[in-house]
Order: sequence, then C-alpha cells, then structure tokens
Amino acid sequence: MAEIENNKPGNKQKKFAFKKKTTRVDLTPMVDLGFLLITFFVFTTSLATPTVMNMNMPYDKVPPSDMICQSCALTVLLDKDNVIRYYEGMPSANAIAGETNFSDKGIREIILQKRKAVQKLKGTADDFVLIIKPSDVSTFQNFVDVLDEVTINGVKHYYTTEIDKADNRYLSVKPY
Amino acid sequence: MGRAKLPRKSTNIDMTAMCDVAFLLLSFFIMATKQKPPEAVAVQTPTSVSAKVASDKAILVTLTKEGKCFLILGDDAKRKDVLNDLNKTKGLNLSPDEIAKLGKLPFIGVPLGQIKSVLALPELPPAEKLAGIPIVDSTNNEMVDWFRSITNAYAGGDQKELEERIVIKGDNSVKYPTFKAIKYALKKNDLFKFRIATNSETVEAGTELYNENKAKQQ
Repeated sequence: MAEIENNKPGNKQKKFAFKKKTTRVDLTPMVDLGFLLITFFVFTTSLATPTVMNMNMPYDKVPPSDMICQSCALTVLLDKDNVIRYYEGMPSANAIAGETNFSDKGIREIILQKRKAVQKLKGTADDFVLIIKPSDVSTFQNFVDVLDEVTINGVKHYYTTEIDKADNRYLSVKPY
Repeated sequence: MGRAKLPRKSTNIDMTAMCDVAFLLLSFFIMATKQKPPEAVAVQTPTSVSAKVASDKAILVTLTKEGKCFLILGDDAKRKDVLNDLNKTKGLNLSPDEIAKLGKLPFIGVPLGQIKSVLALPELPPAEKLAGIPIVDSTNNEMVDWFRSITNAYAGGDQKELEERIVIKGDNSVKYPTFKAIKYALKKNDLFKFRIATNSETVEAGTELYNENKAKQQ
C-alpha cells in the first residue's frame, strides 16, 4: 500500500458528522500489473526469434573434377529409429562399419576419430569428406542433426546423396 | 527545552505518474516487437547451432507431421508476379480478382487444380482440412511449378537474395522422402542453396565450432 494509516486518537472525527469520501484510488496494484506485463513481453519476445541454417546441395550438372581419396571418406547412413550406420571408404565386405546414435558420444566421436585419422594420413584434416545418405525411413530431424554435427565439428567437405545398392547391406530396412 | 515538533507528513505517494510510465513502456514494447511471422500450421522444428536470423520476407515452405506441404509467399512486392506467372504457365484461368484473393490468403495449401474451387468458398477451411501441395509423387510434384514461377518472378534480381529467402521449415518427425521432394523441386529450378528453419541451441564447450567462435571473439 502506498499509504500508511495514520490514526491518532486526537484525529477522531465527530460522530454523526457527514463522512467525506475521497476520490483517490490506490493505483499500486495497477502499477504492479503494468510492470508484470512489461516483464512478460520482454521475456517472451527475445525467445521467439526464429533462426535458419544454410543448406547447400551439390551442383551436379557437371561431373566432379577432383576425386576424393578412399580412405578420407566416411559415409553415414541414416536408418530408422534414430540409428546411424556408418562405414569408412568404399562399401565392401571388409570396410570398417558400425552402428551409432545421435548423442555426443555417438556420431561426434566417430567424426572426430576419422578426422584425426585423415590428419595423420594426409597431413591435413581438410581432406576429410563426410558423405550423408539419409534413407527413406529416417526423419527430417535426423538429417538436420547430422548437418549440425558437420558445423559443430568443422567438417570442410560434405555432401548429401541418395542411398544406392551398395549400401543395402548396412541397413535394417532394405530399399533394394 | 522541548524539541520543535515536526509536522507529520502523510506517507501517501501519488501512484498515477508511475502507473503512466508502466503502461507507456508496456505499449512501447508491444508496438516495437515484430509480429511473429505468419504460420500455416504449428510445427516443431529441429534444433541447430546456427544463429542466423530468418529473412522477414521469406518464401516459407512448411512440412507438417502428416507430410503435407504449405507455402507462404512472404514478399508482398513479388507475390503478385509469382501468382500471375503461375496462372499463365499452368493455365489456371484465374481472373485478376481471384489472383488478388489468392494473394491475401495467409498460406497456400491446396493442389493447383483446387485453387479455383477453394477461392470460391466463403472462407478458407482450416489447414488440417486442406490437402496440401502435392509433392511426394515426382511426376506430380507441384512445388516444381511453384518454384519455377518464383524464379521467374525474381529473375533479373540478385540470385543470392532469393537463395536467402527460401526457407524450408519441417517438423521433426517428417519423413525424409518429403524433404527429398522439396530438394528435387529446388534442383529442377537450379536452386542449389536454401535455408532450413531451426530453433537455436547452444554450442557445447570443447567442440571445434566452440573453439573457432572463441578464437574469433578474441
């Protein structure tokens, strides 16, 4: 309350005197409400800014000029139920392959390990190429998550392409 | 010696001025904040570390959980050109009035063949009842036509500007083939770069990007 009752015994009004009512309204709750609304608006608006990420597709009208080294490539296949299957180099029976997930210890570790291996082999981690192949049973979120890992781990070269026959053996739902 | 008695002052504070200030600030904040960009249907977007802000004149393609596709042409200046071009190239037989009406719709979410009949309705049915723009079948991917008209309308302008405006907003659970269909439509029109709408998340400490950002700041 913005005012403190100041009742002194001497202030007692005479009985039967006509009480004068003041027209003053206590505005304190209204001020409270005003500032509460301000706080609310300030908080909500700063959280609602939508962001976007870049997505580049390979320009495939001309055949690619430079080949990538086989041991520099890591292929990730996005399978259903948020499972990632991956293999190094070309798809073959003896390729190092495995299964992982989208957690920090999952795909990120795999990418970093491969990156280190390429660094050791070629002297620079920039030669590392990540090939992303989303299957038809994977979700949009899976795809964005992998693209995000590309940004997070500073992968210089990556591209997205479709699953082909050679990848069949790695997937749980076989497209071919 | 008796102390001089101070007159008792009332502790009454006039709150009117403070109230005025509070509401003035409130109205300022409401006016100053940008309105949320229009949304065809609410979708739960994936998160990414990207901190880029979306263009406010975005050509927004929304993909819903059910795999439906909705289009919002955010640029008021070019919207009419896009619709006129589409009307001409696809032979939709829309009158200028109907095109103006189509331009005023908050979003487009019907196959090309149904546009005329939807415009004849007294009011637009809710998004859940609309069929969405057909995309998944590659022989009948109408986003190809939409993007063709969009590129035609923006022809002669800055290609990069157009690339920055194309925003794909998909729900987390959208299956990949739906997104592939949009990529196909973009590729058909020589658009190789676009944006994906995401919610921002923080970069974890210790990662490559985190170190890079830190180095930039110093």
